Amino acid sequence: MRRDGPYWLALQVALSGSLLLLFVLPIVALFTYAPPSRILAAWNNSQVREAIGLTLYASGIAVLAAVVFAIPLGYLLARRRFPGRAVVESVVALPVVVPHLLVGLGLFLLLLPGAPLGKAMAYLGIPVYDTIWGVVLVMVFVSAPYTVLAADLSFRAVDDRVLEAARSLGAGPATAFLTVTVPLALRGLVAGLLLSWARAVSEIGGILILAQVVYPGGPYGGPVTSTVSVYVYNLVQQGDLPDAAAVSSVFLLIAFGIFLAVRLGERSGWLPWRRGELAP
Amino acid sequence: MTTWSVEALEARLDAFRLGPVDLELAPGRTVAVLGSSGAGKTTLLRALAGFLPVTSGRIRREGRDITELAPERRGLGYVPQGLGLFAHRNVARNVSYPYEVRGRTDARARSRELLARFGLAELAHRYPARLSGGERQRVALARALAAEPQVVVWDEPGQALDVEARHALVDVLDDLRSNERLPVVLVTHDPALAFSTAEEFLVLRRGRVVLRGGAGALLDHPPDAFVARFAGFENVFDRAALANTPAGSLGRWLLERSGPGGVAFGRPHVVPAGGTWTATVASVRPTPEGVAVAARMRSLPVVLRQEPGVGASLPVPGATVGFHLEEKSLRALGSADPPIGEAA
Repeated sequence: MRRDGPYWLALQVALSGSLLLLFVLPIVALFTYAPPSRILAAWNNSQVREAIGLTLYASGIAVLAAVVFAIPLGYLLARRRFPGRAVVESVVALPVVVPHLLVGLGLFLLLLPGAPLGKAMAYLGIPVYDTIWGVVLVMVFVSAPYTVLAADLSFRAVDDRVLEAARSLGAGPATAFLTVTVPLALRGLVAGLLLSWARAVSEIGGILILAQVVYPGGPYGGPVTSTVSVYVYNLVQQGDLPDAAAVSSVFLLIAFGIFLAVRLGERSGWLPWRRGELAP
Repeated sequence: MTTWSVEALEARLDAFRLGPVDLELAPGRTVAVLGSSGAGKTTLLRALAGFLPVTSGRIRREGRDITELAPERRGLGYVPQGLGLFAHRNVARNVSYPYEVRGRTDARARSRELLARFGLAELAHRYPARLSGGERQRVALARALAAEPQVVVWDEPGQALDVEARHALVDVLDDLRSNERLPVVLVTHDPALAFSTAEEFLVLRRGRVVLRGGAGALLDHPPDAFVARFAGFENVFDRAALANTPAGSLGRWLLERSGPGGVAFGRPHVVPAGGTWTATVASVRPTPEGVAVAARMRSLPVVLRQEPGVGASLPVPGATVGFHLEEKSLRALGSADPPIGEAA
């Protein structure tokens, strides 16, 4: 294998390192601003735990919604030819570029008691304002496009010839999809779902408008609370920066732990989707 | 043992039209499908396997029409280009896949038998990414046989194989033919593989059959330059190239004997002294059949052969050599009436 020259390597390290520093430095600033005792106190604070619990719960539902709705859409875009596909692809990208306060405002207007969707929700007995449904709705809106895009790319990457081999070996279309297409696309799908989850838990703009405070109701039976992002926002508004940094640090540690666990699970082969690539 | 027949099969893939193709697949017979890139070879296999809708014609298995049957119900073992191994399953689970999808309770035991038969038992826990080209071929074939097919259809079996693996592949195909008595359809660009395994050849050009017959038909009536080169003719000239050669040269003589597509011939021997034609040596290289001498006769490049021991020394670049070219060794390309259906 041809080795990179020293200057080329130095350039790669410099550019990659700069970006990694940009990622890491604000986090370091948070951790150093809040002393360990404060981070520990935040961890033990029941209100913080409730906010974290709500955030993880709502984002879990949002990810589930991405599995149910976004993956099929990605499959459709990847595998079917239909008129207006370019329009659909552009629509999928819209939530990524719309400012999130506008997302909240749009959903707010759509769900007003007199608006069609508001009436439908009232008819179904699903309250949205200041409930977990509001949080989930915003989270799905802002996060599902990442899963759609990842699913589109992952399904496209599955070689048709492999599927044809599966069919000629006796698998019907559904069996071939479940036993070959999904496993081969799984790594990309999981990456998309992780991105969606990350985007969901970091959302604030839309949630501030639709569900700044979350009351018990629907699938949420916990105490009155808010998502972590709103909780931290409120602390900043109150001028309590050390506590805001401490709560952020706690949540960052949890998120980092989740990402690290997935990566380690992949590399060890415990999670199945990279076994074929990593096995000796 | 099952006989398959393909009757006036036509299929479309976007703007490309295939057919009509007629084919008889008898037990233990191997048919090699030849043609240049884009001729429709893979399209034909995919239509046989049920992955392309057939626009007209029929496919019959023991007389039963299976043209509209779903791919998984045809009993056709299709090995696509690149083999189509499942990267997320190890060797054992690739081979057991057909048993699993059919809900066979003896999947493990049966796949173990196949692994042993194809020398894959040691590799059972390896993933396809960690296999050599020859090992991958054996896995693909073992997996195809696990589906208990009544015909094997294989797109480019010799692709990316080293010499040893290709020899092993010929043995495996022989085994399919003689022991399993399966009809086999191969698409191949490998003349050695085709001539050592196939009894019948089907040549496609732009979706149409231009020759169907045995090796004799291929050698006697190569329909185009691609097939002529495939069959081993080293000197292949189209009419336009011959027409542009200077008057009085070998090119003019060949032009008079060529078909509408041109003319082909093997490698005439270098004659130590004299010869009907003379040419200037461009390069010399050893081959198992003797020394290949690339020479130019005015603007016409020809490949000649000098057998070991003939002449005192090898010709050197720039030297003049002579050769004879017998009329009976010439093959006209693209005859107006291609010998479709001709037997070997």
